[in-house]
Amino acid sequence: MEDIRILKHIRPSYDKNLILSRLGYKRGVTDLGDDFKQLLDNTVKLAEELCALILAYRTVDIEVKPDGTVRLEDGTVLSGKAMASMLSGADRAVLMASTAGPRVMEEIRKLMEDGRPSEAVILDAAASEITDAGLDFLMNYINTFLRRQGKMLTKHRFSPGYGDFGLEQQVHFARLLDAERLGICLTETCMLIPEKSVFAIAGITEIKSD
Amino acid sequence: MTRKKFRDLFEKGIVILDGATGTQLFRRGMPPEACPEKWAADNPEALMDVQRSYVECGSQVLYTFTMGGNALKLREYGLESQARELNRRLAQITAKAASGKAFVAGDISSCGMLLEPYGGISFEQSVESYKEQIRGLLEGGVDLFVIETMMDIQETRAALIAVRELCDLPVMVTMTFEEGMKTLMGTDPVSALVTLQSLGADAVGCNCSSGPAEMVEIIKAMRPYAKVPLIAKPNAGKPRLVNGNTVFEMDADTFCSYVPALIEAGASALGGCCGTAPEYIKKVRETAAKYPALKPEQGKYSLASSGRMTVRMGWDRPLTVIGERLNPTGKKFLREALVNNDMDKVAQLAREQMDAGAELLDVNAGVPGLDERKTLVNMVQAAVDAVPLPLCLDSSSPEALEAALRIYPGRAVINSVSGETVKMESILPLAAKYGAMFILLPIDDGGVPETAEERIEIINKVYNAAVSLGFSKEDILVDGLVMAVATGSRFAAETLKVLEWCGKNGFNTVIGLSNVSFGLPARENINSAFLAMAAAYGLSAAILNPNSRQLMDIKRACDVLKGRDRDAGEYIRLYSSRQNGTGQDDRRSLEKRTAYEAILKGMSGEAADAVMAELEKGLSPKLIIEESLIPAIRKVGTLYEEKKYFLPQLIKGAEAMQKAMEVLAPYLEKGSGTPVRKKGTVVMATVKGDIHDIGKNIVALLLRNYGFEVVDLGKDVPADRIIRAAKDNNADIIGLSALMTTTMTEMPKIARMASDAGIRAKIMVGGAVLDREYAESFGACYAKDAYSAVKLAESLVNDGNKGPSGP
Repeated sequence: MEDIRILKHIRPSYDKNLILSRLGYKRGVTDLGDDFKQLLDNTVKLAEELCALILAYRTVDIEVKPDGTVRLEDGTVLSGKAMASMLSGADRAVLMASTAGPRVMEEIRKLMEDGRPSEAVILDAAASEITDAGLDFLMNYINTFLRRQGKMLTKHRFSPGYGDFGLEQQVHFARLLDAERLGICLTETCMLIPEKSVFAIAGITEIKSD
Repeated sequence: MTRKKFRDLFEKGIVILDGATGTQLFRRGMPPEACPEKWAADNPEALMDVQRSYVECGSQVLYTFTMGGNALKLREYGLESQARELNRRLAQITAKAASGKAFVAGDISSCGMLLEPYGGISFEQSVESYKEQIRGLLEGGVDLFVIETMMDIQETRAALIAVRELCDLPVMVTMTFEEGMKTLMGTDPVSALVTLQSLGADAVGCNCSSGPAEMVEIIKAMRPYAKVPLIAKPNAGKPRLVNGNTVFEMDADTFCSYVPALIEAGASALGGCCGTAPEYIKKVRETAAKYPALKPEQGKYSLASSGRMTVRMGWDRPLTVIGERLNPTGKKFLREALVNNDMDKVAQLAREQMDAGAELLDVNAGVPGLDERKTLVNMVQAAVDAVPLPLCLDSSSPEALEAALRIYPGRAVINSVSGETVKMESILPLAAKYGAMFILLPIDDGGVPETAEERIEIINKVYNAAVSLGFSKEDILVDGLVMAVATGSRFAAETLKVLEWCGKNGFNTVIGLSNVSFGLPARENINSAFLAMAAAYGLSAAILNPNSRQLMDIKRACDVLKGRDRDAGEYIRLYSSRQNGTGQDDRRSLEKRTAYEAILKGMSGEAADAVMAELEKGLSPKLIIEESLIPAIRKVGTLYEEKKYFLPQLIKGAEAMQKAMEVLAPYLEKGSGTPVRKKGTVVMATVKGDIHDIGKNIVALLLRNYGFEVVDLGKDVPADRIIRAAKDNNADIIGLSALMTTTMTEMPKIARMASDAGIRAKIMVGGAVLDREYAESFGACYAKDAYSAVKLAESLVNDGNKGPSGP
């Protein structure tokens, strides 16, 4: 198995409209007004300051089985039909992690306690989006190097908790990506702390040159 | 190949580069898992076959097959010790393939890991790794270098510095831009160009990542600022899935149809990247041959850049504010922070100044007894991480300046180079090596000249020395040399004379503003007046405290009055919603909102004031609640349901309602109104094992403001505690939230326990992974969002014959 690679201080680009979507905004219908635009801008900026992204990835050999499981080179078995279907045709995959760190969650809690819940929900949505954007960044980053090997990542990725790719499989990601080193802990119910943390897997496919 | 000869090449016409080599070698049997460099070195015929085809098709520059040939990258294959040898052999193979018909460019690219602070490779490690590769390429006889497919401006700088420290061959540099016209690390095309051309790149451009259509826009963005030829080396479109296979979508004819647009955009060197082949290059050459040579625009702009943005300074632009606050002189708190290496303070000061309107930040690390070199580097790193603004490196120590210039990921401004012999000999060459702009301080070995004439003489002396090192006027900001008027009443006038002379002679200017008022009371008045006077003489930039509202107001007014803020657009944008000129609130905010309007707009403070005003008018609390507050919060809910409001607006409405109710509470208790009966009691909890509680907290807030009594038990709450609370509080509803599949299974358990305990409360559930079907499977009701939860709760208590009797 290849070494785990860790990236820090990354500021991924992301679509601010996705934060709005998370908050129920509908283009052409929702009227924010100047005050809310200002509140949004300021809170999103705060999220960018407080999210100290740590990203990690590791490439592994995989074997996709017909029964909807994926066997990793160290013997770990991941189970989920849609996930396995996405990886079909790949013999390697990338395990990834993105975490925004504890500061942003502390601020969300503080805002709730201070009676500023509207800012808390914006900060929460922005932190989720930025954490996800960390994985987008990783996939673009990895693709840059794969391209010269005539390869690229699958367009989509899968995270534990999607469909039948059960949340309990976070345990495997935590072990294989050395989550503790990234500052991520797992609760008994397989939740990640800090909350704004996410694991994912994507397959490596070949670009045909003919 | 000399750099002059390289420039001459572009005078003859569009320069044709090569196309993809890797994909061609895969076709010739290179296994995907092989180290490409090693395989090519061991199979020279295959590589020469591809490269000869490119020469035959018209490539004038052949790239060596050494993109992954730096030691750090070769480490992935355990070949780091062979870096120099591999590069030498591969350069020789390409030289043989070129056989004098094409120039050989030593190809350098990323090491595959990010540099500090993003990854684990230090800047100097990166430079050294590149140097080893460059030595091998030089031994192999390359004519020039190409640094390509770069996504990190800092690693690109490391490679360029490595080349420049070993030889004076021409260097082409191309970066890879993603959708949104930025590199993955966030550098825009203009900042890449400004940083790299000033650092000594002989041509700049883009390769890989996108197809030719997207590259047209990137080249267009660079063109006005380019002093060097621009390169476009696009992929054959984007990779696409066709019949289960991933392929590059664009054929040679389609690819080539973009050549005219690329040339018209300003590209004067063209080639192909991933997915292209010799026939693509042949067609590119045939089309490009119809176009004459392009000349770089040679735009005479004063440009400073960071890794994330470029700032243009000049008399025709709004006056540039250089924030002065990152200077420990006279600031005890910053001095202490620097002594304690507290870089959070530096980041905070950087952000504050940016928010206040600074476009560049001056950074000074001069604290007696502190290692200036180390401190300046730390401050620069902290500021670069905190804000996108370019920096002005303020030091007289060549060692500190060089250390900071080396790791600064853009084009910095050096503050300053004076006419003192030692400064001209030590700092001017540093500015030249790292391509920095500099502030020209008109003092010399004779001291500080008092008259404008003496200062102008020094300006000319330093300028002439700078020209001999390759600088132009636009690379310089002349300091008007501000002296304290308290020590000489004509000092201000002398500075203005210098500014006037600079304006007439094509120099941009800067002043350190606050010196002028030193020793006087009410300094801000003097500073403001002098700023306005200097602006009238065309001052380009000022080092000042952007946190001073007065100074920033004066600066923006001067921009309008001098025609530097076109149509007063920026002024109107900033001031139209602020207080008017008389210091009074503008008309809009003078109009007092009613309690209804305040809640509708989610304005807590105004809601409280409005309720108080309505009480003072003699309205009863009950009437205010029934006639204003309840209709308002209902309207907020309706607007949310219609999606005219989004979640934060719904919550703001609830917050305003809460404030209004807090004002009314004492009056209700005093009996001056009829007490308001609650609609019902809801026990709320996020279930055991689940720690995501923001959704539950929002529901609890809304329920309270829609008239429910809420007992919020928090998160990770065991089932027996929920059951006990429901009993103790005689709950009408138990509200449960869970965000994960692993925890939602607590819900049916709680439903069973409630039933077993004889609790009649209805169960209401919500959370991202739930749906109606799941909720109904254990007899619960499902709410899809916070407002649905309120409506559901209302319907549940109504069904239970507890009709509404309060808000």
